[in-house]
Amino acid sequence: MWKSIIYKEWLKIRFFLIGFTILGMMGIAYLFLKVQHEFTFSGGGNFWYNILFMGMQFFGYFKFIPLSGGLLIAVVQYFPETIDQRIKLTFHLPLKENNVLLMMHSFGAGCLLLSYLLLMVVFISLSAIYFPSEMVYDSIVSVIPWFMAGFVAYFFVALIVMEPSWLYRIMYSLVGGFFVTIYVKSPVIAAYGPAIPGLSLLTILMSVALLFSAYRFRKGEM
Amino acid sequence: MEKLSRIILVLVAILVLAMTLPMLYWMAFEQPVSKPFVLYSCLDDDFFIMRQGKPNTFEDTRGNKYTREKYEQKLPMMNFQQLMISGLMPDTIRGKAMDMHEIGLNRSFARFKPEDMNGPKPALFPLFESQSGRANIGMPDDFFRITWRVEFLDAATNKIREEKSQLFSAALYHNGFAFPATRIEGLPTTRKSCDEGYLIVDSSNQLFHLKMVKDKPYVRKISLPEGLRFKHIQCVDFKDKKYYAYLFSEKNEIFILTQDEYELVKLPITAFNAESCDLKIYGDLFNYNVTIDHEDHTDVVILDKDYKRVKSYQEGWPLISEHTEGKIFGYIFPAQLSLEDPNSKYINFYWKGSGGIGWVLLNLILVGVHLVILRRRNASLQGHAVDLAFVAVTGIYGFIAINLFQNKFFD
Repeated sequence: MWKSIIYKEWLKIRFFLIGFTILGMMGIAYLFLKVQHEFTFSGGGNFWYNILFMGMQFFGYFKFIPLSGGLLIAVVQYFPETIDQRIKLTFHLPLKENNVLLMMHSFGAGCLLLSYLLLMVVFISLSAIYFPSEMVYDSIVSVIPWFMAGFVAYFFVALIVMEPSWLYRIMYSLVGGFFVTIYVKSPVIAAYGPAIPGLSLLTILMSVALLFSAYRFRKGEM
Repeated sequence: MEKLSRIILVLVAILVLAMTLPMLYWMAFEQPVSKPFVLYSCLDDDFFIMRQGKPNTFEDTRGNKYTREKYEQKLPMMNFQQLMISGLMPDTIRGKAMDMHEIGLNRSFARFKPEDMNGPKPALFPLFESQSGRANIGMPDDFFRITWRVEFLDAATNKIREEKSQLFSAALYHNGFAFPATRIEGLPTTRKSCDEGYLIVDSSNQLFHLKMVKDKPYVRKISLPEGLRFKHIQCVDFKDKKYYAYLFSEKNEIFILTQDEYELVKLPITAFNAESCDLKIYGDLFNYNVTIDHEDHTDVVILDKDYKRVKSYQEGWPLISEHTEGKIFGYIFPAQLSLEDPNSKYINFYWKGSGGIGWVLLNLILVGVHLVILRRRNASLQGHAVDLAFVAVTGIYGFIAINLFQNKFFD
């Protein structure tokens, strides 16, 4: 039965997940096309100098791509469940309701993680062609919070979509909207270093947030 | 699990509220703190103070008021260009004939903010040619790092330039450098009068001067007093070429490193804390005007050209928590959370208490209000003990958060 549940989730998100991953790849390809162009016209030395001392972040265009992926996957995975309260069919299965929800959620987050890992591997590999390890490391420290923002968006949208009351949906959206902004500030490169452990912990904690609104949904809170 | 997920959501909401509510409050009610701008007059041997306002006011330490023009005349070293245009520049000061070239040569300005020290630092640096024979400094096409050796990386290919790396590694090694470097400070820009390379601290806390002269390494080990360690080095490029850098020790002493002689001179400044103070040093023909801005006061110390203390001035102002808006803030909010700090470039979770304990009263009132709400709902206190603890500790943040993510299903 677990396999069937996973297959159902896969059917919902597959095209969007693959589409997002391809678009993300295209975004990264654009970044490095631009880097290659700048190397050709301005020289590698100038480009490095601008990153090291002038605050240039060549990967800045990438900032909201992971976030949009998290939003997209959460909407396509959970919104269909709220149409005619289809999720109730799942709750009637001879399985613990929370376990089913956690399985759905883990599968969605796992797929998102795979997609993000793929994007990160491509980003790091291409970065390593043009930049030394120190600059690659600083870039990773800068983009990791953006990927965490994608997960937080996924967890919050799932919470909001499953929430039965519109009033609370709006209020959760406000909290979620402000919360996501802490991952996407615009500081100098690698400035997020000391905050990454705390932000990681918050992101992991947020993964079970869905259970609260799903509980309210099951109990018929309006 | 539902209870746990709700507690997590309440915590997240508290974090969000502790960031946004104080931010909105200060945006609505914060008033600027007017800090005095204090300069020393070489004519009167006294301090002159400009206070920002509508309009700005100018006065001396005895409270005498001045017009802007009179104020500028009292500070001829700071305003010599204006005084020249107005024809009011004195011919001599302290028996010294005023020569514009000499005045310009002796003028300098250095500024330090704690965020210059507390932030991510680059690990790669361009090593400029110090004696290229060209009028302008050229940007090299390689960058160096100092790990277990010196490595020059060609930016075009991202590959190590082996020969140059070995040459500079050997030069440092033969001068007793203990790899790796723990601090590399210089002026990595082509916009300077000349290149003086980098000051480098090695892993044994020794200080070295490294530059490139006609493609060859120039290395000089600088003798330091026993146990002296630096937490920040700020290199300078002043026209008088008297010193290479300001160096801040871990005990917050300020040193300068004289040019060519490599002597460390400790400035007679005691009120400085690099973690929290802004520092401004204006140099002129007669003095150095050292201004140290603390959160609630400014210390101005005047040094002569031999770096001896001449005079000092201190003036305070009320902390923001002592203003009306600050006091009200202290009654509403127990603390505020921010991801940014004015003294750091790092993003982190910065908690700051609101000052005082006025907020305890509101926390207790909110606990009472929540007890009334629970009583009306006939809810058990036991099931809401955690919520009440949230309100008691975090006050308004906790009260809003627990009502946003309500606990009523667990009754």
